[in-house]
Amino acid sequence: MNAARIVEAILFASDAPLSPGEIARADETLDEDRVEAALASLRAEYDDAGHAFELREVADGVQLMTRPEFAPYLERFDTVPRSSRLSGPALEALAIVAYRQPIGRIEMEYIRGVNSTGVIRTLLDRELIAAVGRGEGVGRPVLYGTTSRFMEHFGFPSMEHLPRPEELPVILRERAPLEDPPAQADEEGQGDDSPALSGEEAVAAVLAHADQRPETA
Amino acid sequence: MTDDGLLVVETERFHGPLDLLLHLIRTQDIDIFDIPIARITRQFLEAIEGLADTRVDEAGEFLEMAALLVRIKARMLLPTPAGEEDHDPRAELVRRLLEYEMIREVAARLRAAEDDRGRRFEKGYVQPRPRPRAARTPLEVTWEDLLAAALRVEPPSPRDVEHRVAARPVALREKVGLIVEAVRRARRIEFASLVAPWRERIHGVMTLLAGLELGRRRVVSLRQREHFSPLWFYGGRNLDHGSERAVPGVASGSGDAGGDDRAAGADARGAGAAAGAGTA
Repeated sequence: MNAARIVEAILFASDAPLSPGEIARADETLDEDRVEAALASLRAEYDDAGHAFELREVADGVQLMTRPEFAPYLERFDTVPRSSRLSGPALEALAIVAYRQPIGRIEMEYIRGVNSTGVIRTLLDRELIAAVGRGEGVGRPVLYGTTSRFMEHFGFPSMEHLPRPEELPVILRERAPLEDPPAQADEEGQGDDSPALSGEEAVAAVLAHADQRPETA
Repeated sequence: MTDDGLLVVETERFHGPLDLLLHLIRTQDIDIFDIPIARITRQFLEAIEGLADTRVDEAGEFLEMAALLVRIKARMLLPTPAGEEDHDPRAELVRRLLEYEMIREVAARLRAAEDDRGRRFEKGYVQPRPRPRAARTPLEVTWEDLLAAALRVEPPSPRDVEHRVAARPVALREKVGLIVEAVRRARRIEFASLVAPWRERIHGVMTLLAGLELGRRRVVSLRQREHFSPLWFYGGRNLDHGSERAVPGVASGSGDAGGDDRAAGADARGAGAAAGAGTA
C-alpha cells in the first residue's frame, strides 16, 4: 500500500493533531522519515488540487483542516460551538506564561501589575496552562507552563513559532539602553532548575530582569 | 489634553496601573526613558480619582502604583550619596513598562493567531447527526436463531381479528324498539339485561347509543347511581307519543338501507366509547 495513502487515511479519520511518530505506528513499513515524506507529497497534492482542506502543522503534529476562506460557509452550516475567545487579561497572563515558563503567580502579578488569581484559574480550567513544578521560594510556589492545548488553541506548529521579540514592533527594541547582560537572568532562586524554553533565549534577553524585585516590594 | 493635564481617562478600559501608565506616556509622546515623573504622577492620580469608591478591589493596585510614582519623585529630588553609583530611580519602572508593553503586544499576536485558528475547522465541527444508540452489547445471534424466534411468535389471535372486522352492523332502530318495548312493558329495564342475550360487544354499543338517543329525546331517562353501577332505562316524558319518530329510519318501518348504513356508521364512531360502556 502506498505510504502516502496510509498516512492520508489516518489523518482523515483523526480529529486531533498526530505526530509523525504516532502515524508511523500504523504500519511496519513506515518510519518517521517515510511519514514526513508522505506528508510532504500529500501537502503538495492538496495544494495543487485546490482542495478545501489542507495539511496544517499544529502542536508538534499534523492535522487536516479546512482553509480559512471556507469559514463563512461552515459557520452558517450547523457547527458545534467552538471554544470562546480568551479575554484580554487572560491573553496577557497567557503571554507571560508562554515566554517566562515555568513561572509562579507572584511573578506574573508583578509583570502585569494586577492580581492574577482569576485569570490563572481560567487558564487552568481551559487546560491552556498547567502546574509544572514548584519554585524554590517561600512556600514553594506553584509554577505554571503552557500545554499542548495551548498550541492547538492558537494553531501554533510548535513552541518555536511563538511571536519572537525581534519580530515585535520597533518600539520594544528601544529598551536596549536599560538592558543588563542576560547572563544575570538566573540569580537568586527565582531562576529555577527547569531549563529555558527552547527558542527562548532571545526572549529572555528582553524579559529576564523581572527577577529583580521591585523597590516597592 | 493639555499640559495641565485635563485628561479624561476611563479606568475601566485599562487592565491595570501599568496599562494606564503606558497609555499616559504613549498618548503624549513622552520619551519613556526620560519620564517627567511629576507630571505623569499628577495625571495618574487624576485618572484614578474616585476609583476607590467604585472598584475597591482594583483600587489598591492603582494606589500602589501612585505611591511608587511619588517615591520615585522623592528619590529624584535627593542628591546621590557620595561614592554610590548614579542610579536613575526610574529605571525599574521603565523596565517594567517596556516589559508590560511587550507582553501586551504578544497578547495581541496571540489574539490574531486565535482568530486565524478560529477560521479553520478540523474534523468533528459539523454537528453530529442524531443516530440510533448503539446496543451496549454486541448482537450474538445467527439468522437461524432469529428465524426460530420469529416462528415462536404466535400469530395474532383470530378473535382479535373477528372483533375488528366482523362487527356486524346491528341496526340502531332494532335496539330503539327493544328499549321502548321493554320500558313500556316493565316501566324500567336494566341495560345489562338488554344486552345479555348477545355475546358480541356491538350489541352493547348499539343498545347504549339507542338509549342515549332516546334519552336525548326524552323518550326514556337514564339513571345510574354511581360509576360502573347498573345503568337503568326509565320511561320518559315522550314515551307514549312519537317514540317511533325518535330515531331516523325508525318511522319508515321495513329495513331501508339508509338507516342501516347510518347505524353502521354510528357503530364505528361509537366503538371506542361503547367499549368502556360494554364492560361496565
